[in-house]
Amino acid sequence: MSDHYQVPETPAQESLSFELNGETVTRTAASAETLLDILRESGEITSARAGCRVGRCGACQVLLDGRAVPSCLVMAWQLPGHHVETVEGLGKDPDFLSVRDALASESALQCGYCTPGFAVSLVAGLRQHRQGSPVDLAESVAGNLCRCTGYGGLRRAIDQLSASCCPDEADGRGPSLSEEPL
Amino acid sequence: MTHDKPLGGTENLVTLDGDSIRKATSGMDLAQRIEGRLAYATDQRHISGLLYGAILRSSFAHALITRVDVSRALEMPGVHSVIKAEDVPGLNRFGIVIRDQPVFCDERVRYEGDSIAAVAADTPEQARAALDVIKVDYQPLPVVSDAALAEQQTALHGPHEEHGGSNLLARETLERGDIDDAFSRCAVVVEHHYQTPRQMHAFMETEGGVAIPDDKGGVLFRVGCQSGHRDAEQLADILGVDHEQVTVESTATGGAFGGKDELTVQPAAGLLALKTGRPVMIHLDRFESCRTGMKRHPVSVKMTTGCDADGRLLAHKVEAMLDTGAYASLGPAVLENYLDHATAPLYKIEAYRVSGRLVYTNNGVCGAFRGFGGNQATFAVESQLDALASKLDMKPTTFRRINLRSPGDAGSRNQTVRWTAPPANVLAAAVASPLWSLHGAETGRWLTGTGMAMGAQGNGLGDGLPDSGGGRISLSPAGRICVEFGFTDYGQNIVESITRSVCNEVGCLESDVEVVLGSSRGPDSGPTSASRSSVLVHGVLASVLPGWMDVVRGHAARLSGMAEEGLRLGPGGVFCNGQQVLSYRELAEDGNLEGMAANASQDFPVAPDSEHPVGRYLQLQIATVARVAVDRLTGRVRVTDLHHVTAAGRVIYPPGYLGQIEGAAVMGQGMALTEDMATRDGRYLADNLDQYLIPTFHDAPIQRVDVLDDTPEDDPFPIRGVGELGIEAVAPAITAAIEMATGVRVRRLPVDPGDLLVAMAAQEKTP
Repeated sequence: MSDHYQVPETPAQESLSFELNGETVTRTAASAETLLDILRESGEITSARAGCRVGRCGACQVLLDGRAVPSCLVMAWQLPGHHVETVEGLGKDPDFLSVRDALASESALQCGYCTPGFAVSLVAGLRQHRQGSPVDLAESVAGNLCRCTGYGGLRRAIDQLSASCCPDEADGRGPSLSEEPL
Repeated sequence: MTHDKPLGGTENLVTLDGDSIRKATSGMDLAQRIEGRLAYATDQRHISGLLYGAILRSSFAHALITRVDVSRALEMPGVHSVIKAEDVPGLNRFGIVIRDQPVFCDERVRYEGDSIAAVAADTPEQARAALDVIKVDYQPLPVVSDAALAEQQTALHGPHEEHGGSNLLARETLERGDIDDAFSRCAVVVEHHYQTPRQMHAFMETEGGVAIPDDKGGVLFRVGCQSGHRDAEQLADILGVDHEQVTVESTATGGAFGGKDELTVQPAAGLLALKTGRPVMIHLDRFESCRTGMKRHPVSVKMTTGCDADGRLLAHKVEAMLDTGAYASLGPAVLENYLDHATAPLYKIEAYRVSGRLVYTNNGVCGAFRGFGGNQATFAVESQLDALASKLDMKPTTFRRINLRSPGDAGSRNQTVRWTAPPANVLAAAVASPLWSLHGAETGRWLTGTGMAMGAQGNGLGDGLPDSGGGRISLSPAGRICVEFGFTDYGQNIVESITRSVCNEVGCLESDVEVVLGSSRGPDSGPTSASRSSVLVHGVLASVLPGWMDVVRGHAARLSGMAEEGLRLGPGGVFCNGQQVLSYRELAEDGNLEGMAANASQDFPVAPDSEHPVGRYLQLQIATVARVAVDRLTGRVRVTDLHHVTAAGRVIYPPGYLGQIEGAAVMGQGMALTEDMATRDGRYLADNLDQYLIPTFHDAPIQRVDVLDDTPEDDPFPIRGVGELGIEAVAPAITAAIEMATGVRVRRLPVDPGDLLVAMAAQEKTP
């Protein structure tokens, strides 16, 4: 490490407004600050969690204009004019309630740290279905990682949701080579 | 090849399916987890005056440190404190078995995750910026990166240090019978090398939490961990304060799997909190977690195993090398458990010599990880059995049936053993699996195959380690039956299991029970590890509840004026002839809560024979049948189905039981197919989850779990812990299935698709 190391200047902070769970909020942030940090800094949002910060694990998944995205890959400058939703704001959303009940009744979680991220991805899948797009709900959680469950409960929950919302479009199991399933 | 018909004796087999889960699932705290309302250790940002800490890690895998200059860091914006080795008021060392890991290195760094200094600042960014201007002068040392050569190389720990002077940290040999004589009588002998990977826990919540100072020089820790009491003792020694000045409170923890058994961020956070007088949060990001965190011990082993012409196992020789990395952590205990499992506990073998060496290297640090060495050994043992069966042209299942122990037999180390079902019945159920019906099929580019393996696992900490646990039961002021244990909850459904056990014994409602876990001020239950919690919870409740219920009935009799004999506890309160006499709330409101509290502690059940090893008394079994599809073009392996048969006592909470088996199995699948934190010159080659690939939803197979419960009615230990059982036999089942699909037996994990393709091609050329 050099003795002449120059401390980088603190990037300029700017004021920005966006919609968060239905309300307009104003935050001060550097333009390259991530949505994940902006959400967590306020202390009000804890459901978006930093699992990898490279967009792989889905623990920080939020809805951006209704689409599920990892909030660690969204930057402050991209936010003005857009609507961010987290599970804190989805408490009365019928799609979220179906997802919550399916996850709970199938015991589809253990430590639960990744679960809000999975819920957000599934809500996005259900919404896409309501808008008339064919949807494979299992495909919607391809960007989420869970280390505890072995995904068995999640599979049952996705089967339950698929059966109630989109029985013709997907069986929720994904491709299987098993001709004689267990 | 055809397979055995069912061998019978399977009437107590119950499938844990979706219906049984939905019926049993308790909504208890699931909703708050789904809705993000449950605060995890690293979610605690509401604490007033909170500072953020960051830790400076070594730039070298092995070097002397000649100077650490923190002067510029102290002048950086937002910085409140910078600390290094000389600022540790107490013991600058920690470690569960041997305290050989410095909190901050002062003379020497031994791996690239070693800590040198720490900063507390107003924001995480300011703390990290200050780390960048700490100046450290290093003198690089030769890197010990190959466990096989470690004993001939520079010792990581000096001769004046405990277990120092050589890189051989521990060696141990288990022996039984005359192995030379036994080998001389073998008709068939197979010898193979096996290698298992440095697997990473990859819990979704990386290491972190908060240290909060009080105004009397003490500290409260709210950090993801596995043993509040043990951590509190070590932290008091580091902080140089009395033990009662340190409190560790359990918080919801986002996964652990053994990786939070050792101290992680606590020492630095606690020291910074004392120095600044402010609460300090440290939360490692994934890059730092990968670089510094605990891993599974990679094992390289040579096994030589022989049997007679009828397939009876006679001789078994094991020479294993475990790489523990820079510090001991639980390495010596992992070695011991590895060797125990390498004696093939499920099978009768006339003679064995099972030895292993545990060496220090500069390759990270290895310690506790679900399976604890056992599953690494089982991978090799089960592969050896298949190799012998193949030599004899015998079905692998038949070969196992010939050699399995009977319930009356002593264990592999001559200890008394309590099985919960005859091993032959577990095998019979696996032989009857529907997965065998499609064995060896070819579908276009996919080659499919089915394979199986078995595993045994003992509950409890093992040989010679102090292993006891306590609990407390009382009536809370609000009238709830309050049950306290020292265990921590990191997702293993322990709250639900305890609640269910209390309801079964007392006859009360789930809503009558309040479970309080994991405070170092509460009862000491020992560590949350080694599949021991369920056994201890059941034991403590069984010993304390009858007496406690008598006391409560006594109080109720005095309050109601009714005869104690006619009263019993039930849903919501105390009943007489089906009528509620008093609610629990009314009982509590009468006061005398102290009189209605009871404590109990019990030693972990061990074999009642004095001359033999005391561990591995309560044994569990699993048989796993795997079906795989191998891509002929890429060599990639997909596990399509896993079918497990478990014999692990009674099921208390079906969703928890199923989740533990399924979750551990997929973790084992990761170890078999993709997971390895490979190192080069002591540096990890992967640093995040985009390079280190754990299974996704779409990698996970369809699973079925059948529970075989032949536990005798009078068994004093009908409840066993199943947190580790599911990982035991997955890897060898997968490689057996790959062999059926391709003809190639893989003995090095994770399976390398390129190597597999090359071996498949080489085989096609051989006539």
